[in-house]
Amino acid sequence: MPPQRFDQAKPFVTLGLVLLAWLLVPTALKRMARVSFFELQAPFESTASYLRDLQDFWALKSRPQNQLIEAGRDIARLNAAYEVRLQQDSALRAELDRLERVLKLPSAPGFRSEPVRVIRRDFSSWWQQLIIRKGRNYGLVEGAPVIYAGGVVGRIREVHAYTAVVELVSSPGMRIAATAEGDTRPVSYQGGINPTYGPAFATVEYVPLDVFVTPATPRRLVTSGLGGVFPPNLTIGYLTRVEPSTDGLFKSGEVKLDSALSDLTEVTVLVPETPAGLE
Amino acid sequence: MKRRVFILVLASLLLALLLGQLNHHLSTWQVHVWCGGLFVAFAGLRIAYAPGASAAFLAGLLLDANAPIPFGTQGLLFLAAHAVVFTIRARAPRDEVAVGVVVALLANLGLFLALGFLRIEAGAESARAWLRSFADLLASQVVLALIAPWFFAVQQRLLERTAGTTRSFARHSF
Repeated sequence: MPPQRFDQAKPFVTLGLVLLAWLLVPTALKRMARVSFFELQAPFESTASYLRDLQDFWALKSRPQNQLIEAGRDIARLNAAYEVRLQQDSALRAELDRLERVLKLPSAPGFRSEPVRVIRRDFSSWWQQLIIRKGRNYGLVEGAPVIYAGGVVGRIREVHAYTAVVELVSSPGMRIAATAEGDTRPVSYQGGINPTYGPAFATVEYVPLDVFVTPATPRRLVTSGLGGVFPPNLTIGYLTRVEPSTDGLFKSGEVKLDSALSDLTEVTVLVPETPAGLE
Repeated sequence: MKRRVFILVLASLLLALLLGQLNHHLSTWQVHVWCGGLFVAFAGLRIAYAPGASAAFLAGLLLDANAPIPFGTQGLLFLAAHAVVFTIRARAPRDEVAVGVVVALLANLGLFLALGFLRIEAGAESARAWLRSFADLLASQVVLALIAPWFFAVQQRLLERTAGTTRSFARHSF
């Protein structure tokens, strides 16, 4: 058998050398390269999202006037309802401040709401993330919670100059301290089951034994507020199934997430008013 | 050589952006298309080793920048796939578009499974995660087979317009 020519093995020798060199490259250099490659693509992604917005704008312009009048009337009704809610909210907030002063309790961390358009949704079985159209230019910080009308979207994983990356609540590995609605005991939430053509599911662990749910009578799973990242009582999803775990001390179960998560076009980032808010 | 690498990376950037837009719209149905094999097939089959490998590695880094995985994972996977394609290319009529499509499909299959093994943790829910992965793989292969001839033509034309013919680049392996 003739000996193998070196040029046939050269691609693999090169691969080995590059792998070795890559392992030796300092982390700071890799991080800089990653940021550079991301920022190189960001303007194109942003432009595409602006073009989509323009497309939507022209699509809306073609709507008949009657539809716009109806939409305006519905929004006026909603605004009136929200005005009443705001008045109730300010009364409750004043009461809360008074009680905090009387009982000498530390005040809960405050957040500034920052509405943001979604540039790109990236929903694979390996990761689920959004790229949003605001970044350091609007004071967004890593770890900040992201919400929408239906509850929790996720939290910010990376912040770039004009964009940020949000790790979705449905992403494998996303963990949150949660509670079943009406219960104060925390359970451990983890995202990760994302079937095709349907809403995402997640798992919960350490559910107390006296929590019962069935798919017919689901129970809302909300943020516990523990850890200070997410404010309490934000909807994560609905507990649809729980069963005793193998150790018999707790239950584990399944959480159905809102199908609207895979169709988001705008979200709100809760930027902590104090930098220590996320620590 | 630098110009060829630049052109191939530019084409990869275009493909990455288009696939990103496609995935944005497919997310409504929880379907994701990943065409890693397409980033290495042309470079592995028709370009000399050094510029082809550099372009494949840089294309992987472009994708890595957007993904929550250690930076370099897809870059090194693409480099490995390029090495395999480059080694076997002498045994196939590599200028044929059909051969290119088949190589891209096989490379994509291998890369997709490799990335799946790296990303999906073994556990109670791993079977469901793999089920979703196979649905994504099926969609990816269909999309790849449809767009591969177009992408090969784009790369070929860009190289011909800016850096001569690809045949002259592929004549010498190194």
